[in-house]
Amino acid sequence: MKKQIKSIVILVCICLAVTALMAVTNQFTAPIIKENQAAAENAALLEVMPDGESFEKVDLSAYTLPATVSEAYKAKNGGYVVKLTTTGYSTGFVILCGVNADGTVSGVVCLESTETLGHEKTFGQNFVGKNADEADKVDTISGATKTTGAYKSAVKDALNTAIILGGGSVDIRTDEEILQDNLSAALPSAEGKFKKHFFVEVVEGVDAIYEAENKTGFVCVIGEQFIGADATGKAVTECDEASAAKVSAAIDKIGKTTVTDIDLSKYAELPSQLISAKKTATENYIIEIKGAGYGIQGGDEYHPASNEYIVIRVSMTKDGKIIDCLTVSQAETKGIGSVCAEESFYGQFDGKTEQNYLDIDAISGATMTTNGYTKAIERAFKTVKILEGGSN
Amino acid sequence: MKKNSSLSVLTNGILKENPVLVLILGTCPTLATTTNVFGAFGMGIAAMLVLICSNCLISLLRKVIPDSVRIPCYIVIIAGFVTVVQMLVQAFFPELYKMLGVYLALIVVNCIILGRAEMFASKNNVGKSALDGLGMGIGFTLALCVIATIREVLGAASFAGIAIPFLENYKIEFLVKAPGGMVVYGLVIALVYMITSGKAPKKKDFSCAGCPNASTCSSAECAKKNEEKEEI
Repeated sequence: MKKQIKSIVILVCICLAVTALMAVTNQFTAPIIKENQAAAENAALLEVMPDGESFEKVDLSAYTLPATVSEAYKAKNGGYVVKLTTTGYSTGFVILCGVNADGTVSGVVCLESTETLGHEKTFGQNFVGKNADEADKVDTISGATKTTGAYKSAVKDALNTAIILGGGSVDIRTDEEILQDNLSAALPSAEGKFKKHFFVEVVEGVDAIYEAENKTGFVCVIGEQFIGADATGKAVTECDEASAAKVSAAIDKIGKTTVTDIDLSKYAELPSQLISAKKTATENYIIEIKGAGYGIQGGDEYHPASNEYIVIRVSMTKDGKIIDCLTVSQAETKGIGSVCAEESFYGQFDGKTEQNYLDIDAISGATMTTNGYTKAIERAFKTVKILEGGSN
Repeated sequence: MKKNSSLSVLTNGILKENPVLVLILGTCPTLATTTNVFGAFGMGIAAMLVLICSNCLISLLRKVIPDSVRIPCYIVIIAGFVTVVQMLVQAFFPELYKMLGVYLALIVVNCIILGRAEMFASKNNVGKSALDGLGMGIGFTLALCVIATIREVLGAASFAGIAIPFLENYKIEFLVKAPGGMVVYGLVIALVYMITSGKAPKKKDFSCAGCPNASTCSSAECAKKNEEKEEI
C-alpha cells in the first residue's frame, strides 16, 4: 500500500511541477503569439490599403449592406477595407477591396478563388484609383464575363459599403428589386405579382404595361413614372391628367385586342423555322419563330450544345415595324448565351425595322447566340412580308 | 575508446547508434519533415531541445520515480517540455511553426525521446544523460538534414526553399512524396550500414536479443534477464 501511495504522490507532484513550468512559459509567449497572428491578418489588409496603418473590425449588424459583404475594417486613415464573397464562374470567390476616404479604390486583391482562367488575379488592377462612376466604366473581359463581371460587381458593392459605413446612404437594391418595389407601390392590390404585357398593338404614350396576376388592375410605365390603374383603366396612382388619359387609352386598347390564327398552309416559301403566325384585328402580326443559336450550331468540351432552338415571339405591324419582342424559350449556355432571355437584350428590338434591326448590342462572348437570334428576327420580317402577299 | 566515457556517449548518437538510421526510431517525423531542409533542421533542433531537457530531468529524478509509474511520469515530463518548445517556436519562429504543423506536437510520442529516457537517462547521471541527449539530437538532426537534402534537391530542385534553377527540369517529384521518402530513407540506412560495418552493433539476431531495447524491455523473454534490475 505504501508503495502505491508513494507512486501516486510522486506522479501527482511531477504533473504539478510540469504544469507550473508550462504556465510560466505561456505567460511570456502568449502575448507574442497573439501579436504575430494580428500582424499576419493586418498584412493582408495593408496590401490593399498601404496607408491604412492599423485596422479595426466593424460590427456590421447595424447596417444593411450588399449581400456579398462578409467583413469590413475601418482604417486609421478613414478608409475602409471590405471583404466580399461572391460567385463568378464558381462559388467561393473572395475579394478584399480597400476604399479610401475620398471614395476611390485604394487596392483590391482576390484572396481565394476557383475560377478557371486566372483573370481574377490581375483584373483588380483596373479599379485602383477609380471612384464609383469610373469603376462602372471598366470593361469586363470577353470570354471571362462571369469572373470579371462578378469582380466588378464586388468592387461596386465595396464602394457602396464604404459609403454606407461612413454614414451615407446608397441604393443597393438590384434592378429587379427596384422594379418590383415600384410596381408594388403603384398597385398594392396586386400583392406583388405582376406579369409583363406583350404588346400586339401599337400603344402610344406608354412604355410598358404590367398586369396584376390577380386581375385587380395594371401598372403603366411612362418614362420614370409607375402609374397604377384598376381593371377598368382608371388611374389609382396620383398623376397629371395627361398621363391618366394615356393610361386609360392604353388599357382600353389592349383590352379590345382580338387575335386570329393564320392558316400557314395557304402560303408558299415560308421559312421552315416558323412555328406559328397570328393576326390581330388591327392588322398586326404575332410571329413565333425558331433561331439556331449555340444550342444547335455550337458545342465543345466545356460548353455542350443543348440541341435546342431559341424560340422568340415578335409582334409586328404589317409595314414591318416591330412592336414587341420576347424570348419564349432558350437553352443557350448558362450565364453566357442565356442572356438572350433577359429583357435588357430582347427589348432592344422594340421599334426596329428590317433596315436597323442589327443596330443592337450583341451579347458579349455569345456571338452564335446573338446571330441565331437576329437571324430569327430577320426571318420574322420575311414571314410578315410573305403573309402580306409580297415576295420573299 | 573507454566504453561509456563522456566522449563516446556524445559521439554514439551521431553515427554508431544514430537513432534514425541505426536504431530506426522516430521514422514518422523523419518521413514527414524531410521534404524541406529548413523544416528538417527545425524539427531536429526542436526534438534535440526536448531530448536534452527531458533526459536531464528524468535523470535527476531517476531515483525518485517509482518503476511502476515510470512511463506516465516520463510522458508527462516529455509532453511538458514539448509544449514549452511549441510555445517558444510559435512565438519566435512563426514560419517554422507553420511548416512543422502538427509534427511539432507529435514530438511527444517520438520514440527517440521515450526510448532514450528508458534506455539511458533512467540509468545514468545527469551529465552523461545530457550528453546522450545532445549526441542523439545531433544524430537525429544530421540524419534528417541528409535525407532532406537528397529529397529536396533532387525532388523539388531547391534547397531550404531557395530554388536551384538548372535542376528545375530534372527534378524527380516522386522523391518529395511519401513513397519517395521511404525509398531515400532505406537507401541512406544502407549507406550508413556500409560505412559503419564492423563498428555498428551487428544485427545477426532478429529476435529479442538483437533489439536495441533489450536491456530495458519488459516483455516475457527479456524480463527474466532484467528481473534483478527492478528497484522499489
